[in-house]
Amino acid sequence: MTGLQTANAPSHKIVIPHFVVGSLAFLISMILLFFTADEWMNLYFSPKLIAIVHILVLGWATMIAFGGLYQLIPVVYETSLYSERLAKLTFIVYTLSVIFLSYAFWKASFSQLLFYASLLMFLALMLFITNLILTYRKRTKSDISSKFITTALFWLALTVIIGTLTALNFKYQFFNHSHLQYLKIHAHIGLIGWFVMLIIGASSILIPMFVISHQTNTKSLNKSYFLINIGLIGLSINWFLDSNKIIELLMILSIVLGLLNYLRYVYLVFKSRIRKILDTAMKLTFLALIILSISLLISGVLTGFQMMNISKMSIIILYGSSIIIGFISTIILGQIYKTLPFIVWLKVYQPYVGKFKTPLPKELYSEKWLKIQMYVYLIGLAIFINGIAFQQLIIIKIGISLFIITATINLVNVLKITFHKQKLTTIK
Amino acid sequence: MYSNPSQIELEILETVLVNVYDPEIEIDIVNLGLVYDVKFDGKNQVVVTMTLSTPSCPLSDSIVQDVKESIKRSYPDFEVAVNLVFEPQWHQGMITPEGKEMLGMS
Repeated sequence: MTGLQTANAPSHKIVIPHFVVGSLAFLISMILLFFTADEWMNLYFSPKLIAIVHILVLGWATMIAFGGLYQLIPVVYETSLYSERLAKLTFIVYTLSVIFLSYAFWKASFSQLLFYASLLMFLALMLFITNLILTYRKRTKSDISSKFITTALFWLALTVIIGTLTALNFKYQFFNHSHLQYLKIHAHIGLIGWFVMLIIGASSILIPMFVISHQTNTKSLNKSYFLINIGLIGLSINWFLDSNKIIELLMILSIVLGLLNYLRYVYLVFKSRIRKILDTAMKLTFLALIILSISLLISGVLTGFQMMNISKMSIIILYGSSIIIGFISTIILGQIYKTLPFIVWLKVYQPYVGKFKTPLPKELYSEKWLKIQMYVYLIGLAIFINGIAFQQLIIIKIGISLFIITATINLVNVLKITFHKQKLTTIK
Repeated sequence: MYSNPSQIELEILETVLVNVYDPEIEIDIVNLGLVYDVKFDGKNQVVVTMTLSTPSCPLSDSIVQDVKESIKRSYPDFEVAVNLVFEPQWHQGMITPEGKEMLGMS
């Protein structure tokens, strides 16, 4: 029957470990960020900061994205995952490669360890992409949401190809341009092409589902898809060939307009929602979108500085952290609680539904602690961003301390959900 | 044989299905307006025609199972079938005033 996805859902054994390892990586990255703050604040190119950024984007954000995608694929393509065994193998290779790659960056072993670590990462991501492309080939549905997700996979592949080539270049030096030029492309297609496109695709399915909205006008989403991709392709080619400032500005404008169209779509969904009361997880999701809007303003400032040929490291860190820690991490911190409890609930209670009284998925975690986590994180974010903007180490460290508290509460809550003990009561 | 099938249909709706909850929305399926029809043939067959708040609802199997098991618990001799439909599409006009209050719509 159309729309019934549970028969296609993958085994919980594939999905759940991603949430646990991802949440652990988030905590580790924040602890490392705290202890290295004085170093990365003063260095233009800090290997330790690069290591932490990779733990954050690969160990935390991409790890959770993989887990979430395995669960979402039956909804997106209306078919089951091509291979669950391949997904298990991918998880193992991917986890090892995140550890290896981060260690190689941490040790600044650019011409030795990084070479092998990046090849392992390339293999892990290709295993994931292959599994999803083979799933895509047997899809029974194609709409704008699935286009966003499929295109995000293409950008992920390109991100890892450029990343791997840059790593190989440290050993064999075959690039004509400075490797920084390639890193700029690598970072932007990773953040916008992979993460932002994926979030748009996934949220365009999930947000209307969770707030109950039947807003079906996808014109804004179609425009968003076109504008972001044109902007990103143009920006990458422009940076690859010697950069032209006017083209760069036009392409950035195209991406910003694309994001604004996406925000317009979410606004229409929000306005037409039937479920007026939002839980903490959905509040975090909408707050992430507000942060995205603020990040767009920051990127405008960054572009302005570049136009004047002023390179300010603090603005680059500000721009990167408002997207990675601000937008991407906030939306993940919300959406974990809209997916993981349901996956565990289905695993533990599905056979007993109707026969016994079962708790609700929401009762698998502490909503009170999630609320505390949300406030601590938002205060931490405001303090951290201020610290970066005004280059104040102590303020930055206070902000990161609050991130550590957030990551700890999140990990405890994720473990509480994962190891939930069955509670059945007889129906009278 | 039951003398008044419509009485049974009403009982199923008002005493059984009103206790079947959408686990995500946390509101019962009757007040959400998800139940379109309950048909009892006067012997032992019950057919519930219902919808979901969204066709891609990941909890669809659980809700359908809950409907079947809940009716069987009250009427152990009945055979229950659930007919899941998406036409007409569910909309907010189908929610009862109590449901709207629970959703924060009023």
